[in-house]
Amino acid sequence: MDQIVFFTDILLPALQKGLIITLQLILLAAPFGFVLGVGVAVGRQYGGPVTRVLCKVLVYFVKGCPLLLLLFILYFGLPSIGIVFSAFTASVIGFILCNGAYNSEYIRGAMLSVKDGQMIAAQALGMTRLQAVRTIVLPQAIRRALPGLSNEWIYLIKYSSLAYMITVIELSGSGKLVATKYFTYTETFVAVGVVYLFLVTLTTLAVNAIEKKYAVPGMIRG
Amino acid sequence: MDNRLLCALVCACAVLAIAFAGCTDTSEPGGVETQAYVVGIDAEYPPYSYLDSQGNAVGFDVESMQWIAEDQGFEVTFQPTAWDGIIPALQAGKIDLIYSGMTITEERAEKVDFSEPYWTINQSVAVYEGSNITMDDLYAGTLVIGAQRGTTAAFWVEENLIDTGTMDEGDLNTYDSFPLVITDLVNRRIDAAMYDRPPMEEAIAGKPVEIIGEIDTGENYGVAVRKGDAELLGMINEGLANLQADPYWEELKEKYGLA
Repeated sequence: MDQIVFFTDILLPALQKGLIITLQLILLAAPFGFVLGVGVAVGRQYGGPVTRVLCKVLVYFVKGCPLLLLLFILYFGLPSIGIVFSAFTASVIGFILCNGAYNSEYIRGAMLSVKDGQMIAAQALGMTRLQAVRTIVLPQAIRRALPGLSNEWIYLIKYSSLAYMITVIELSGSGKLVATKYFTYTETFVAVGVVYLFLVTLTTLAVNAIEKKYAVPGMIRG
Repeated sequence: MDNRLLCALVCACAVLAIAFAGCTDTSEPGGVETQAYVVGIDAEYPPYSYLDSQGNAVGFDVESMQWIAEDQGFEVTFQPTAWDGIIPALQAGKIDLIYSGMTITEERAEKVDFSEPYWTINQSVAVYEGSNITMDDLYAGTLVIGAQRGTTAAFWVEENLIDTGTMDEGDLNTYDSFPLVITDLVNRRIDAAMYDRPPMEEAIAGKPVEIIGEIDTGENYGVAVRKGDAELLGMINEGLANLQADPYWEELKEKYGLA
């Protein structure tokens, strides 16, 4: 088959469809993963005894379970107890859990780097614990966690390809289907790799811009 | 001797010992070395090729291969390989032949050389028990169909239902292996599953699933070797002919319920 025709008529339309699904997966999972990460980190650091244990158990299980297995449980396992997610929903839930659990560790680490004195000072000024965490600790912690969080967003882009294993035809899946059907493994996977590289570059640039925009003058060297 | 020097010497000897541990003399004195081939199989394709509880490759195709190897005087090992990547694995030299119920198709024949056909099958369609779905629903394109990736069942749906505009592309779910298709059929996410007839019967045994019909595709199974590997292909064809003339062929069919 003519190479150019293959690229323009078969490969590119397929990858375009896959890319849209991949973007939907990432853009849905990343914000919720961030919120879950903040919630779990605050819960572990400042929550009551029960919240602490719950957050710890969540992080422990998600970190200890390969994401692929987590997706298999969500998609193939849960219907046996009557919970039936669509493949797309199961993927997004899996990504949020995984992303959130790892995010929480970056944010917790950053929270630990905020000195205790600030918390004590805030409470001395009459703030409640929650107020102090929300307005004093978290704004600093999230800024400091950004480099780590950007790592996790980049991982999210790449592990979104696991959705293919539970039948969501996203970017790498659509590539694999084309490769299998037309036996064009090298060309197809190089093209898919270029698209992922582009997505990762975009994310890196965006995080750099966010870091610059929210840098506190004098606090974070940049 | 200095203690540290002694320690370093001992470590060096240990490293050397480990490094050469794998090197044993392989030449057979005075004999001709028997050629060893790696056979790629789909490990979840009963009754043709699958793994028993000990993890050994068994099945109709596996035992046929063992008989042919003995008949033609070479050795074989079996390598379970992902079905949708099995042809690239052959081209890349990870395996030397594919003997695992592979349908001879034009597209595949451009990439590999096939032996003489040794088996003919049709596609079968299975649905959830008592779901009142008929073959007409399938042909009308109103069902969500599940199939294993890279199989002729998936290709059949694409060519005959999707490419003709009868069925929506999103209604074909493709899976890594066939047991996952049946799992999703039991979970009621898909309406119908499509697969080669004999392995379908194995896969649905004991599940609330029934076969509602066959699609007469008349597909031929063949053994695939790398393009231009005439020596191996010759031995396979000769071995296949010998096997089919031998009473063992009937025994094998009997054993795997294919008679």
